[in-house]
Amino acid sequence: MSVSVLLIKILEVMFVAGWAGSAFVLVLTGIEDIGTLLDRKDEDSH
Amino acid sequence: MSSTSNAPTGNNRVRIVVATSVMLTFISYWRAAAVILNDLGSSAFYAGGIAEQAIGKSAPWFVLGVMLFAFAVRAVYVESCSMFVRGGVYRVVKEALGGTLAKLSVSALMFDYILTGPVSGVSAGQYIAGLINDTIAIADARGWVPAAIHRMFHGTPQVGVNATAVVFAVAVTLYFWWQNVKGIEESSEKALWVMQITTVMVVMLLGWSFFTLLKVGGHLPPFPTLANIHYSQESLGFWKHSQLPHMFGILGLIIGFGHSVLAMSGEESLAQVYRELAHPKLKNLKRTAIVIGVYSFVFTGIVSLLAVMLIPDDVRVKVYSDNLIAGLAMYMVGPEVVRLAFRAFVVVVGFLILSGAVNTAIVGSNGVLNRVSEDGVLADWFRRPHKKYGTTYRIINLIVGLQLFTIIVSWGNIYTLGEAYAFGVVWSFVFKTISMLVLRYRYKGERNWKVPPNLHLFGVEIPIGLASVGMVLLSTAIVNLFTKSVATESGLIFSIIFFAIFTFSERVNRRKHADHAAQMTEQFQLQLAESVERETVGIRAGNILVPVRDYNTLNHLKWVLERTDTREQDVVVMTARISQFGTAAYGLSTEQVFSDYEQTLFTRAVSVAESFGKRISLLVVPARDPWSAVAQTAHNLESSTVVGGLSSKITAAEQAFALGSAWEAIPEPKQQFLLQIVQTGGIVDTFRVGPHTPTMKNEDVVLLHRLWLNVTREPGLENIHHHDIVTEALTRFAHDYGSGDHEDIVTQLRRHGTEAGPLPVRRIADQVPTVQPGPRSDRDEEHHDDRSPNPPAGSK
Repeated sequence: MSVSVLLIKILEVMFVAGWAGSAFVLVLTGIEDIGTLLDRKDEDSH
Repeated sequence: MSSTSNAPTGNNRVRIVVATSVMLTFISYWRAAAVILNDLGSSAFYAGGIAEQAIGKSAPWFVLGVMLFAFAVRAVYVESCSMFVRGGVYRVVKEALGGTLAKLSVSALMFDYILTGPVSGVSAGQYIAGLINDTIAIADARGWVPAAIHRMFHGTPQVGVNATAVVFAVAVTLYFWWQNVKGIEESSEKALWVMQITTVMVVMLLGWSFFTLLKVGGHLPPFPTLANIHYSQESLGFWKHSQLPHMFGILGLIIGFGHSVLAMSGEESLAQVYRELAHPKLKNLKRTAIVIGVYSFVFTGIVSLLAVMLIPDDVRVKVYSDNLIAGLAMYMVGPEVVRLAFRAFVVVVGFLILSGAVNTAIVGSNGVLNRVSEDGVLADWFRRPHKKYGTTYRIINLIVGLQLFTIIVSWGNIYTLGEAYAFGVVWSFVFKTISMLVLRYRYKGERNWKVPPNLHLFGVEIPIGLASVGMVLLSTAIVNLFTKSVATESGLIFSIIFFAIFTFSERVNRRKHADHAAQMTEQFQLQLAESVERETVGIRAGNILVPVRDYNTLNHLKWVLERTDTREQDVVVMTARISQFGTAAYGLSTEQVFSDYEQTLFTRAVSVAESFGKRISLLVVPARDPWSAVAQTAHNLESSTVVGGLSSKITAAEQAFALGSAWEAIPEPKQQFLLQIVQTGGIVDTFRVGPHTPTMKNEDVVLLHRLWLNVTREPGLENIHHHDIVTEALTRFAHDYGSGDHEDIVTQLRRHGTEAGPLPVRRIADQVPTVQPGPRSDRDEEHHDDRSPNPPAGSK
């Protein structure tokens, strides 16, 4: 396996693993965002 | 008595109170979102077209992927802002990785900022040129273009799209260059207005597109698999002759993602507006992030998708790749004239938002370079203020020079510009995210929110979410280095040049600043204060506030000192250190707030005070807006009068209006004060800022008196006072204004307003008669009569 192929494999693993982890970020922050949107007690409308 | 004065302190040094917090006008999350979307939303006009040129018809999936991933990047910014109020790239990287990498990251950020201008200006020009050409083509098809003109152009007359785009981009850049040299103020109001119009366009675009899909049908773009990714010649860069991109499926996804990543440019603005968000800050930041996330996902992502679904393949890339939304407007169902009218609306909106992005690029670059130059990494020469306007014109010239160079070299090629643009975007995010990872272990201060999820193993926190975002960004940035040869070469050259300038300047400045610090220590004693309070400055209520900016124009200070007994009334000389959106995002050290310019300015002010043998207090206030700074300082110090010089840009009445507007934004309770604008020759315009007894015309006073005479003749009304009549009249006015007579009243008031001069000034700050220069003794007498600090003759 050449160095460039190895580098590409590493980048691919990083990208896929990164996206998998980012999916958790999106789901968890999304749930929190819904809570933030529903909580309107401090909201100002200016 | 105040101890803060130019009178020597115990060690013969002049004490200066330096406020370390920027005086800001706080904005709601809607306004903050509008400011960010003016930059972030503008990419919808070109990102989809650029991505499709690079990787083919499946590009919209990548754009949607980027917009989805942008939510995760936003989470990184929310965490950084929960740690540092000014949590931009420079601050975070400096904190985590040190000055060298901070300079490198700022170089990449500068590349992003500077290219925002050309890419936006050229894109707006492409939309305009496209509209002109299509309108002429439609007119020609209907035989509306005269045969002679048709013959002259050997066919349908058309403008050169790229040349028109270059001319337009140069014109817009030069316009905003001049505006920035003059020192225009950014306004969240304007940003909100632009986004309201843009939203109208987006809603119409989406509604009409979905209706068209229902009527004529459409197909989703091919899914992003290796077989469906069609690389263009330019899209593989250094891998043009390599088989690697065709061998690995996931590599293809990374390449596609990398070609679409420019769609999320503008995220840095989130950190820059955080400083100005109203309470509760973190919650409002999250709300802002949600608004911009959803908006840009729908606008940039869905619109790119609809464009591929509705515009036929044979014209989409060939004709509309540089003005995709215009193409979308032309392929809706409906009469051609209506579609053309909607396209014109798209072009107007594009012109507004993209031109705004050109300005944002200049303002943002100026802010970042100001910040680093204040940190000593850019020669002071760059920060020398413009003689007339007081702006950092040399930095603005440098930025605009680079932007004009980029526009002309690219010759309106939006694809090349967009490709290069992605370099700055992705590398500044990489630096930021890696720094945030480092800070998870190194930073021990307050942190109100963390990017989830986080695992705890054997007492060690593993930031899975943050690391994941970093891995996506880093892998994309590395692949981009190979596939975007133009971006890599231009980005590296640019960043290395900027990095070298920063490093060299820093070395030169280090010695100079050491000398300056020693000199300053001998002359001034700085007292740092988080906020401006009367007690901190050590003055009494009813003082006179004298804002100064240019050390060549201190006539108004002389005018005040000539007429004021400083034993009876304190005089405070203040200067506002203006921080724009960019600089407000960063921490301020003493050197940044009190630079050699402020030192020179105060040396002159002290010298003026000494020539009168009078005491003054000195104050430096960092602020986003000079009028807010003056209004808030006058409020905090309980000043009775503000005395300013005449602006070189606006009239005295406009100055009064600006200060009055800033005063209106201060929360209650607040007190009114006098504003006096001293013109050359000692002519003084005086205004009352805030609600006050109006200046009444003689005939109105006579009318009031006659009414009073008549009313008191009525049985049982003998004890009525003049003010009772005014109360009754106002009550009736309020009733009529809220009822059917509203229009009549407004018409009458408009007539009065036209007769009596500019309405805005009268509305907020009523002018009292102009003061002409006169003998000093007269004024001293008036002073005692009116119990007012510097009352002009005839002032009421």
